[in-house]
Amino acid sequence: MTTTAPPSERTSRRAAPPRGNRTPSDRPWLSGARRRSLTGWGFLLPAALLIMVMSFIPMIQAFVLSLQTGRGANFNFADPLWSNYTRLLDDEIFKLTLQNTFIYLLIQVPIMLIVALVLASVLNSKNLKFKSFWRTAIFLPCAVSLVAYSLVFRTIFANDGFVNDLLLGLSLIDAPINWLGSPETARFVIILGLLWRWTGYNMVFYLAALQNIDHSTIEAAKVDGANALKTFWYVTVPQLKPMILLTAIMSTNGTLQLFDESWALTRGGPAYQTMSMSHYLFEVSFLKNPNFGYASALSYVILILVAILAFIQLKVGDKRD
Amino acid sequence: MHAFTKKVTMAVAVALPLTLALGACSAGGGGGGGGAGGDENTLTVWAWDPTFNINALEEAEKVYQEENPDFTLDIVETPWEDLEPKLTTLAQSSQYGELPDIFLMQNNAFQKNGINYPDLFTEIDTDAVDFSQFPEAVTAYSTVDGVNYGVPFDNGTAIQALRTDVLEEAGYTIDDFTDITWDEFITKAEDVLAKTGMPLLSGQAGSADTIMMILQSAGASLFDEDGNPTIDDNPALDEAIDIYTRLVDSGVFVEVNSWDEYLGTFVNGSVAGTINGIWIVGSIQGDEDQAGNWAVTNLPRAEGIDGATQFSANGGSSWVVSSNANVDLATDFLAKTFAGSNELYDTILPTSGAVANWIPAGESTVYAEPNEFFGGQPIFADVVAFGAEVPSNNTGAYYYEGRDAVSAAVTQIIGGADLKTALGEAQANVEFAME
Repeated sequence: MTTTAPPSERTSRRAAPPRGNRTPSDRPWLSGARRRSLTGWGFLLPAALLIMVMSFIPMIQAFVLSLQTGRGANFNFADPLWSNYTRLLDDEIFKLTLQNTFIYLLIQVPIMLIVALVLASVLNSKNLKFKSFWRTAIFLPCAVSLVAYSLVFRTIFANDGFVNDLLLGLSLIDAPINWLGSPETARFVIILGLLWRWTGYNMVFYLAALQNIDHSTIEAAKVDGANALKTFWYVTVPQLKPMILLTAIMSTNGTLQLFDESWALTRGGPAYQTMSMSHYLFEVSFLKNPNFGYASALSYVILILVAILAFIQLKVGDKRD
Repeated sequence: MHAFTKKVTMAVAVALPLTLALGACSAGGGGGGGGAGGDENTLTVWAWDPTFNINALEEAEKVYQEENPDFTLDIVETPWEDLEPKLTTLAQSSQYGELPDIFLMQNNAFQKNGINYPDLFTEIDTDAVDFSQFPEAVTAYSTVDGVNYGVPFDNGTAIQALRTDVLEEAGYTIDDFTDITWDEFITKAEDVLAKTGMPLLSGQAGSADTIMMILQSAGASLFDEDGNPTIDDNPALDEAIDIYTRLVDSGVFVEVNSWDEYLGTFVNGSVAGTINGIWIVGSIQGDEDQAGNWAVTNLPRAEGIDGATQFSANGGSSWVVSSNANVDLATDFLAKTFAGSNELYDTILPTSGAVANWIPAGESTVYAEPNEFFGGQPIFADVVAFGAEVPSNNTGAYYYEGRDAVSAAVTQIIGGADLKTALGEAQANVEFAME
């Protein structure tokens, strides 16, 4: 009998009851691997339960709700069942918000990711002074309160605001531009707000990934005679692929679900021209005559769009590996 | 033993944060909310605007305490933009126990909430509150199927407020703008603009408030009595939009992009007047240097439309006794203060400009007092007189859909779209939303 047997063996010997049937492995049920697995599940269980109850079950309920129609709290199953979804195809305002959200996605996300990448590689260089100041300054916008920055942007871009004064003073324009009054410029203001706010956030991700790049690869490229641009494009960026994929998916997800800027900056803009899908969802649910079945259908359409785009990005991202 | 202690430690380490979190959640849920029925002599109220509604509530509390010294009012400031989703959420999840005793509601939202969520309300006892003492047009907002659900509070009667010094510079007086038509107004306003460089009106771009006021002054609405939208075949609406377009194109009406900018236009003196509900008076008085240079009159009328008047309204709200209320106490409180106390209305009028809908309040001397800022004109007495002449309008459950559809159409029309097409689209959108 050893006195230094590992704990698992000791307890398993103690816990072995006299049984008629033995498991094939000839050891009691609570053996080392199983017990570790069960312990793992035990730790996961509370969080898993919470997510089930708080997220997954409401998601299923929302799907059931999207198959129902009715105003206020009187719900009946729709007839036909998909009528909320087919109704979306006829909704002019929804199509407008879809178009707006995609405009934001296609213009803002690529610009933001490229700028974040460039900034990150600049900030990663050894020779830059005051690096931590720059990093903090570029990251700070995303920590600013959303409502505060929307109000400030609204004031800056007002007809008699700072931007118009500046442009008039520099004689770049003759008359004040009505930034928030016409659709194109209002969308531009929203895109500008999004760029200002989220570039720093993505830059931090890229910085972290850049720190992990093996410097020897860069040196090897330099030795081979590549200039800075070629090194960046052919050596750095491929190694950043996973991080680029991550930020692209996160940004797509965030932009498709855009609500805050549409609500706080332009309130949907002149005649729904800057309204995003989530903002329209909020309107249908709480501001207009409540139609929660329709709103749930809308939310599922957003989910499907995000899922499709994420899937495409994963496929594209993995293929080049 | 060693393994056992480790196990216990692990178990505690897992269970402790979980318990703390759950405990915090349940404590937080119970503490917040502000549900009703704490104390027999306390009422909980949800209302917005500290300088206006909440000020009035505090004065009402004092008035009621004269008879009931133990009474207290627990006021929870809740902006309307938060209050409406809150009511929708509570009603949708049937959590009526979270409602306060009394809450304030915009008049335009009554039909929508009354039809969709009748369980939020308690019928107001007509023995306690005499509704004949309120203008019919106003009680109509909070009446659903013939039952009264709201005690009207602040008056939304519209006024035309103009800078008399600017008018004088152009050779006009306030009488030249009283009892006129919109055509005459546009002619005179263009003249003022040419001579002084000051536009007479301003408003938020994309907001249909001005058009709604012109529409209501002609006795018309966006919906008929059955609740069907009447947007595309509505001569009064066509005329209202036409008037608005002419105002904007001639430069007499300046469109700005936010509420603060709108207030800034007349406070900073870039615009020489405004047309809005009487409650705008509080903001007009924002610049003390302009004291004595303002006057108030009635609105221009829309010539050529049957039933056109010089009177209209914008906004206004009413008190609701919720379904979770201490009904007797709440009804008695409202009946003795907002539906029965001259003293209350006399107090809140000078401090916050809160003009009553309650008709007997207008008979008091405070209302007839000349107002310094408006050149000695007893504006409040005038407004109460206007209020009695305002035509009622149909809001229906889809009022906000209709209003926003018209706002969108007007933005397109100002941008050059054809009126018939834009209104046809608006009608289609509202019908779609009503499906």
